[in-house]
Order: sequence, then structure tokens, then C-alpha cells
Amino acid sequence: MELDRRDFLKLSLTAGAAGALSGAISVFDKDANAAPTKEEFEPLPNIKVGGIIRPPGALSEKEFRAKCISCGVCVNVCHTMKYDTLSIAGLGDLKNFGLPYVKDTRDFPCALCMECPKSCPTGALQPVKKEDVKMGMALIDLSICFGWNGDVCLSCSKACPMGASIFDFYNGEWGNQPMINDKCVGCGLCVKYCPLGGSAIKVITRDEYKKVKDEYLADFRKTISLSNEERYNLVYGINLPMIMSRGRMIEREYRD
Amino acid sequence: MSTETNTNNAPEEEPSCSELIKGNKKGFIGWLKSHKLSTLRRFVLLAVVVFFLLQFFRVKLAVGSLTGSLALWFVNLLDVFAYLESMVASKDFGLIAIVSVLPILIAYLIFGRSFCGWVCPMDYLFHVTDRIRKCKIFDFKISPKYGYIIAIGFLVASFAIGIPVFTNYFSHLTNFFRSLTGLYFYIMDLPVAVDVMLFSFAVIVLLLVLELIFPRMWCRLICPVGKVYGLFNKVSRFRLRVTDNDLCKKCRACDRVCYMGVKVSEYVIKGDKNIRDINCILCGRCVEACNNKSNILRINLSLK
Repeated sequence: MELDRRDFLKLSLTAGAAGALSGAISVFDKDANAAPTKEEFEPLPNIKVGGIIRPPGALSEKEFRAKCISCGVCVNVCHTMKYDTLSIAGLGDLKNFGLPYVKDTRDFPCALCMECPKSCPTGALQPVKKEDVKMGMALIDLSICFGWNGDVCLSCSKACPMGASIFDFYNGEWGNQPMINDKCVGCGLCVKYCPLGGSAIKVITRDEYKKVKDEYLADFRKTISLSNEERYNLVYGINLPMIMSRGRMIEREYRD
Repeated sequence: MSTETNTNNAPEEEPSCSELIKGNKKGFIGWLKSHKLSTLRRFVLLAVVVFFLLQFFRVKLAVGSLTGSLALWFVNLLDVFAYLESMVASKDFGLIAIVSVLPILIAYLIFGRSFCGWVCPMDYLFHVTDRIRKCKIFDFKISPKYGYIIAIGFLVASFAIGIPVFTNYFSHLTNFFRSLTGLYFYIMDLPVAVDVMLFSFAVIVLLLVLELIFPRMWCRLICPVGKVYGLFNKVSRFRLRVTDNDLCKKCRACDRVCYMGVKVSEYVIKGDKNIRDINCILCGRCVEACNNKSNILRINLSLK
């Protein structure tokens, strides 16, 4: 009896300590309990973002780093506008330390309010028109996009602040088939409003887009020129099961 | 005012610096009356910090930090040393940057190095740290002029690397406001890198430790922001003045209360009417110390 009680005490103490420890860890690392990390379910996993997505109106990367003094005006102005898109870069890349960037378009896309270029005191962000912003380039993952797999979704084009000038639609019996052209500013609103779990759209830098453009467009042409039977096999054999599994594995609101 | 028993010039027993600054009036109101400049100074600092804190509640009175900010909804402001570094790093004068640095230049052509004493939040943090150290009388041998070599060193480094080195990494102003932003964003679960916040806090804590070991070395010698504002002291309208040099009782109370190690009494004995020391932060502690004795120092705006 005595021994049992001691064991029970020991056990409960250990459990309590473990609980406290895991609690302490989860305070420092908030994503400790979240099962799938968002990096694992990125659309277009074989295409890299290829750099840092800068705020709208940013100068070229080298000039931007020379001009920006890390004062935090753009980050805080973004916060006062309630968008919270911009974040300050950490110690991972020392040359980039303290500079603003768009951290996560899936949660906090840029709404192109164009307040940050206006308020930048050093001119690292130049005031430009919305249409001339070149933050990045949004690419649709054709294999998981609803519009490319027998659905009429249109969410991305409805969210897009540039509207009709950005999207080319290849309407057919396999869906409305959206395609984003070169006029894309890379704000990432479509990324957030894509109804697919983890989004089917990815924003990459303009430099990276130049590299992968041919490959991506070849994939697009191949998909659109498939025969009906081949397309049926692709959509029902591969793509739709992938979309279904994503729906099961990812909660749309992955940030608790 | 100066009808005190201390009329002989023989060296008396030196009062501690806290006694010197305490004043001769009793009670809280009396303290406020004898510390008008110190009280006003703390109110200005409090107002500045509160304005900058309001940015988290979406009031754009002052957004950003003291190196670069958006003030009163539409005015861009830029610190002079930050402008120099940014200019040198990008090899470009930058029209936007000049527009935002101009109001600051004009303000400090009038107010001299008062930024350090009246606006810089580190001044208050250092003051609190001094309290912990029991208000030791400062003694510091290295000439403040070496600070310009450090400032030029930072500019050269910025030119070589192509990044504003001091302002981006080491600046107390950047790190102070970056840690506030980081803390608020972390608490509100907004996108922020935690290591930025920790780095900024670490820099501030390091500066406070430095203050414990070498009192005001940062302000007197290293900080290039203050060094640049020090140059404005030479032409500023807002300055430390002497009403009557002959009335000085040579008690050197002004020297002993000075944070920045300015030898005020030497200027007074030399017969200077205007004390334009590059290290004077126009905080007014010497004026308050002098109020007890000779009452010949003044800090005010003057067009002459």
C-alpha cells in the first residue's frame, strides 16, 4: 500500500513536471502542437519562392538593403491599416536582418493600400501606382486548383485587386481554368482567398519567375492540350484524390 | 535667491550629487519648482514615448521609431545620422530622404543637441541605472572628440558593406522601438520573428550594463547620433547661457551634476556668455544645481 502510494505520487509528480515543461515549451514555440506545418503543404513544392517578397514599391534588392534603416514605419503603418502584412526579418540572414518583408501571404496578404511607400522616410519604398507594383508573381498550382479540375471557383479572380487585367480564363468542360499573366503585382490576396486547404496559389519573386517561367508555361500548355480521356484520367485519377486528401489533412484555419 | 551662508571661497565639504540636485525647497511642489527643466524634460520624453506607443492602437501620431518616423499622419521624419548612413550605403542623395531629414535639421538648428536630453528614451533608462549605482560622481578621461572617429568608422563600414550598419544593427533607438514593436506583435500573435525582439532587448540590456560599468560612455563617446547633433550645438538658438560670469562662486556644482562630463565652470570662469560644448545635451541639471548657489546659468531660446 505504502509503495503504491509512493509510486502514485512519483508518477503524478513526473506527469505534472512533464505537463509544466510542455506548457513552457509551447509558450516559446506556439506551433509545437500544430500537426501539419504549412511548409509541407505548399502549392508547387518544386518551385522555390526564390528570395524575399518585399513591400510594394521597394527598390531592387541591393538598393533596398542600402537605403532601408530598419525604422519600422512600414511595419507599423501596415498595422495601423489593420493588414499586418509586413514583418521584420530575423537573424537567419544577417544581411537581411531587421528589414521588412511579406512573411505569409496565406494569412496576411498585402491589400495594396499603398500607405507604406508614402510613409517611408528614406525612399527605400518608392511611391508608385498600384498597377506598377512588382512585389512578386502569383502562380497557380494546376494540379490542385479547383478551376483546373472540373469546378467553377473564381475565388482568386474575385479577390484580385487588379481584377480582369490579371486573369486569363480558358473556359471549357474541365472548369473555368484560370491563368495569371505577367501583369500580376504579387500582393497575395488570391493566396489567402483560395478555398483549397493550404491554398493552390504561391507567390514567388520576379527573379525566380524569370527562371521558372518556361517550365511553368510548358506545363500549362501540356495540360490544356490533353485529350478528353487523358484529362479525365489526370483529374479523376490523380488530382481530385490529392485535393480530397488536402481537405482532410489541412484545416483551413491552421493557426488555431 | 542666492543669499546663502556660503560666501567664502574656501573649499567646503563636497556634497554628494544627489544632494546637489535635491534643491533647497521643501516638499513635492517645492521640488517641482526647483526642477522645472527636469520635470518638463520628463514630460516631453513621456509624451514622445506615449505617442509612439499609440501606433499600436492605430493612432498615427508618431509611427515607426526615432530613427525614422511618420509624424502627425503625413510628415516623414528621418534622423540625421541615419540619413548619412543610408546616403553613404546607397551612394545616392535620395530626394525623399532629404525631404524627410529637412524638418529634423531645422528643428535641431534651433534646439541643438536637446534630442539627447529631452527625447532619447535611453537618457531616462540610463538615469534609472544611475540610481542603482547610487549616483556616483562621473569621471571620464577620454575626450568626446574621439567619438567622431567612431561615427566616421560606421559611415565607412556602411559604405563598404552597402548596409546602414549602425542604424540597422546597433542603434539604441532602432532597437528600443524594434523591441517594443516585437513585443506587441508577439503578444498579439501577429507575424514577427522572435529573434529580432530578443536581439533588440539584448542590445538595450547590454547598453544598461555598459552604463553600470562606464557611466554615460555610450552618450559621451560612442553614440554617433548624439555626436552629429552635438555639431548643431555650435549654432543652435536654444542653448546654455551665463547671465553674469562674475557672480560665480566656483563651487563646481554644475560640473559634478553633469551627465556628459561638460566642464561648465571652466567656461564660466573663462568668461563665455554662451556655453556651446558639443557634449552638452541641454538637460538643465547644471542650471538646477546652480539655482542653489549663484543662480547664473539659464537654458532658454534666444535669437541673439
